[in-house]
Amino acid sequence: MKSQEETPPGTREKSESEAVRRRTSWFATLRTLYLRELKVYLGTPFGWVILACTMVLLGFCLQAVIQIMSKSTGEGVMYYLLNNINFWFFFIFIFPLITMRSLAEEERQGTLEGLLTAPVTTTQIILGKYLAAYTFYLILWIPLLLYPWMSQLANLYTEYRYNITASGEIPYLLADWFGPYAILSLMGTFFIAVGLLCSATTRSQIIAGILCTSFMISFYFIGRVTELWGEFPAAPVFHYLSCTEQVSSFSRGLLDTRPVVLYFTLALFTLALVKRVVDYRRWSR
Amino acid sequence: MGMVSTEHLYKTFGRFMAVKDVNFSVEKGEIVGFLGPNGAGKTTTMKMLTGYLPPTAGTASIAGHDILDEPLEARRHLGYMPENVPLYDEMRVYEYLAYRARLKGLYGKGVRAEVGKVIDRCGLNIKRKNMIRTLSKGYRQRVGLADALLGAPELLILDEPTNGLDPNQIRQIRELIRELSEEHTVLLSTHILSEVEMICNKVIIIDNGEIKAADTPAQLTGSLRAAGRVSVEYKGDLDIVMRELGALPTVKKIIYEGSLPGGWQRLVVRAEPGTDTREKTAAIISRLGYPLRHIYRHIPSLEDVFVEMTRHD
Repeated sequence: MKSQEETPPGTREKSESEAVRRRTSWFATLRTLYLRELKVYLGTPFGWVILACTMVLLGFCLQAVIQIMSKSTGEGVMYYLLNNINFWFFFIFIFPLITMRSLAEEERQGTLEGLLTAPVTTTQIILGKYLAAYTFYLILWIPLLLYPWMSQLANLYTEYRYNITASGEIPYLLADWFGPYAILSLMGTFFIAVGLLCSATTRSQIIAGILCTSFMISFYFIGRVTELWGEFPAAPVFHYLSCTEQVSSFSRGLLDTRPVVLYFTLALFTLALVKRVVDYRRWSR
Repeated sequence: MGMVSTEHLYKTFGRFMAVKDVNFSVEKGEIVGFLGPNGAGKTTTMKMLTGYLPPTAGTASIAGHDILDEPLEARRHLGYMPENVPLYDEMRVYEYLAYRARLKGLYGKGVRAEVGKVIDRCGLNIKRKNMIRTLSKGYRQRVGLADALLGAPELLILDEPTNGLDPNQIRQIRELIRELSEEHTVLLSTHILSEVEMICNKVIIIDNGEIKAADTPAQLTGSLRAAGRVSVEYKGDLDIVMRELGALPTVKKIIYEGSLPGGWQRLVVRAEPGTDTREKTAAIISRLGYPLRHIYRHIPSLEDVFVEMTRHD
């Protein structure tokens, strides 16, 4: 943060009480809100616990992936990692965990009152929280990038310890890595917004978490409907909404613009809804 | 245009009408005490002024800015300390105040200077690095007050600033508010009436969502029915004294409160508010040659006003 001292001359202080200089930049306020929210994730144990648990669980997945890859190859490691029931088993719980406290906790502690009586708009508050949660969600996937490097380290160790030239390697291939990261970030835009919506509807973190979890599970199963019922006239809708199918195609390197449109519009719509809910709860109370 | 003026403010929660047609204004430089029993609508009114609760009908303006048309501009002119002072427990005092200062539009070096100023002002220097979670009630209250002071707003709205404090802390906060009134207009709500008598120069009494009175404390106590009441104790005949006193032009009613041991009679003379009937009463009793041992003019306190206006029996 650079200090910004670009007050135009002439607006400088007139009297003692006027000495407080203010600026009314929309983005500066948003940045202040965003940085505080990010600090909640990274400056308290809360975020680090989620990060650590995700890493451990991804480690389990990787274990399963290595088993699969030793038999069949052809796709990158990310493909096997993300198209793995182990992955989905915890992936859908990440969103409620990240978002459940954001608005519900503000409301419970009463700090929302302090926020909304400062010269801040509801949109700024929600965007600040959304962007911070989304940033943290992206941070969750950074350690994955260490896997190739770690595999090389492991190979070196095997070579040193057992004198065998190990061949199992996870390569850094843009084709392998770009697609999965793209779909993970896309899904994040919508799912984080849904989490925020659940958090806005209640003052209890638990209820927000339950709501978001049940939404995530339903959304996951909507995507698998065609696997249960086969192809029927409305099946394309379910294919379109299927996050598992999207992940599968993206992680193979098949980029599609339809999920981009889907998730961006859904995220925008949900955020607009969050604003409505926050305002409505104030109006109706 | 005053610092605060409200126009026919209404607020309903479902069927319950919390605030009914509230009109009042606060001029620049006043310290206004907002009084009323619990649930009278004080907090609701304050929340509407700060823009947190939207009014069901009517509007208000802060420093000339309408709270509905220019909510952000109105909020820039006020510092608000909510009841029970909600704060982020996981933040440190300095960090929290710096964050709030930035939210209020301060930037760069201005943040540090301003936060330093309010920390000094509220005596938070020894706690500036402490986690808010670890602070005692009194210090939390000061952090809330410091927050309200950030950015030197013209108007301070304090919702029960002394709630839950011990007598020493109440005294400290009171002194602080008195100091603050030199630079800010203050609107505060409280249950402690002696406090209002000491620091406020205007009182607004609200009950059942309606404003019952808005005036200076002196005017309010002066206009009370109990004002000008004189109690007398003398030894002598009852009927003559009552007849003589009743003939005085300002006397409205004389109540006999019974006889005391030793033949003393006790009377209460109820007169027009703002008059003093002590001298004439004493003159009548001494003309009749009766001994007089007690004469006292009742001076109503704000508490009497409060009870009289908000009693529901």
